[in-house]
Amino acid sequence: MANVIFKDVHKRFGSFVALEKLDLDIHDGEFVALLGPSGCGKSTTLRMLAGLEFPTSGEIRIGDRVINDLAPGKRDIAMVFQSYALYPHMTVGENIAYPLKKRGIKGKARAEAVQKAAELLQLEALLDRKPKQLSGGQQQRVALGRALVRDPQVFLLDEPLSNLDAKLRSYMRAELIELHARLGKTMVYVTHDQLEAMTMANRIAVMHGGRVQQFDTPDAIYNRPANRFVAGFIGTPPMNQIDGTAEGDHIVISGHRIPFNRADFVDSLADGPVVLGVRPEFVAIGSGDGLPATVRLAENTGHETIVTLELPDQTRISARVEAARKLDVGQKVALRFDPAAIHLFEASENGTRLNLDETPAAVIPMRAK
Amino acid sequence: MKLVRPVLLNLITWSLVLLISFPLLWMIVTSLKPQTELFRIPPTWVPETVTFEHYWRLLSETPFLRYFRNSVVLASTTTVFVVGLGTLGAYSLVRFRYRGRETLAMLVLFTYLLPSVVLIIPLYLMMVSLGLSNTLFSLILAHTTFALPYALWLLRSFMEGIPVDLENAALVDGASRMGAFRDVIFPQLLPGIISTALFTFILSWNEYLYALVLVNSDAVSPLTTGVMSMLISAFNIEWSLLMAASVMMSLPLIVVFAFLQSYLTSGFGAGGVKG
Repeated sequence: MANVIFKDVHKRFGSFVALEKLDLDIHDGEFVALLGPSGCGKSTTLRMLAGLEFPTSGEIRIGDRVINDLAPGKRDIAMVFQSYALYPHMTVGENIAYPLKKRGIKGKARAEAVQKAAELLQLEALLDRKPKQLSGGQQQRVALGRALVRDPQVFLLDEPLSNLDAKLRSYMRAELIELHARLGKTMVYVTHDQLEAMTMANRIAVMHGGRVQQFDTPDAIYNRPANRFVAGFIGTPPMNQIDGTAEGDHIVISGHRIPFNRADFVDSLADGPVVLGVRPEFVAIGSGDGLPATVRLAENTGHETIVTLELPDQTRISARVEAARKLDVGQKVALRFDPAAIHLFEASENGTRLNLDETPAAVIPMRAK
Repeated sequence: MKLVRPVLLNLITWSLVLLISFPLLWMIVTSLKPQTELFRIPPTWVPETVTFEHYWRLLSETPFLRYFRNSVVLASTTTVFVVGLGTLGAYSLVRFRYRGRETLAMLVLFTYLLPSVVLIIPLYLMMVSLGLSNTLFSLILAHTTFALPYALWLLRSFMEGIPVDLENAALVDGASRMGAFRDVIFPQLLPGIISTALFTFILSWNEYLYALVLVNSDAVSPLTTGVMSMLISAFNIEWSLLMAASVMMSLPLIVVFAFLQSYLTSGFGAGGVKG
């Protein structure tokens, strides 16, 4: 069993609180992404799991072993670094063989394991080269090879794709997904790129300000964000958040009344200020009756157009429409939101979502795996 | 017109080279001339007769070889001390965080800024109270004190150029901290270590003042003071022997330089550009 458990883990650097009350339960064989902006604590989390940092309090376990004070080499983990961290003076073969060497695996067994890893990653022809002679993608594969050669319980990946160009990145993404399926090992993957997290992970821990905001499947993170931060972080463009006021069965925005079904929301939802959340794909642009808005920008990406709209109170929101749709800058339009796709959040800065999840918001096919 | 620039450049370069290498050349030429030819006016640029007589006298009739051995022991041991301590110190300054780390680094540099004349009397008194006066070891300690600060700073800037992830990777791969240092840090640091070692060796090999003050017995004198007191007296300078001795003193440095000069220049550049 190689499940990974963080239990009430805190980490402080001097007076700076890097992580606060971290609780994660990562299942055996699961691919989990730690996602968040820089400084959110995701790398610190990974480094504590690797043994390169130690928690101030709390408990970290792999399987049934508490690993808090264990040296990195004794944790049965392997790590791929953002910089790859290949040993420059060793050949590719020596790099891959190093973890085996350090564990006293010698001779034929070592050579065979290196060969197997090299075959898996198509590195056979490069074994005698030095890292400096390799392309970025090849270096990346060597780093992977070094990680998987000794069959560790848990793989840790620290933004492994961020140094590659866009094309290679999407290729390596697919490779990693396949690799995970083939090895069936627990993988913890740190990234600030939501696309990587959404496409690769079984579950995503969205982190912000040293706290896990939500730990759930990509589907749930997208369709049922726990709070305003997650809603505003996930999605390109992210979920629109519009200040409004709840009044009975309506949300009032700039004097315009938008109906909603009160039964879909928690009982504690009282009349008063709320934040209405709606994904750009559920903003319908029309004319006549609706929330009045002005077109400010229309960006055609080829298969769709992202429209930036300005509401009467100057709030800007975005809408996703088909590429053929013709909209002029300055044009007055009326917006309607799909009632089933409306989220409501507490009006505070990182307000909690108030929807009842027994009636999930409109589920849309956003993930094409 | 196009020719003027390269010609001018070459002219300047070669005159500089000549200016710098002339004493060296003159030293070699003089050491090969017979006594009768030494003070001839006008001087002979190329010796009419080449003789190795002075070298032979130096090796067979004077304690030159003893001085040479003392210098080799002194400079090598100092180098080992300085590189060993400097590497560990630089590692600590770069990799670990502790209170007063930067202050410590500055203080170390501060000792380097003090003129050695200021330090020499306290150092002498210390050596006497330690019972080390007039030993080669006292010189090794003294040379270590003035070479270590610079070495520490040189190695520190080299160490800073080595990504911390390399070491972390080795730790995760199962190495101990010492193992990671040996397998990963040390090979990366090698150019820095070599240039620091060269710097220290040269400094110690050429050092005169400390050797003069701390050691006055002929048995433990290094080349600098030994040759000086042997060949230069108030009334007479044995030019031919002195030149032969100078050539032989320079030889180890020239050989070392020739092989390792690329490391040395990379060392002097390390402070400015991390690489």
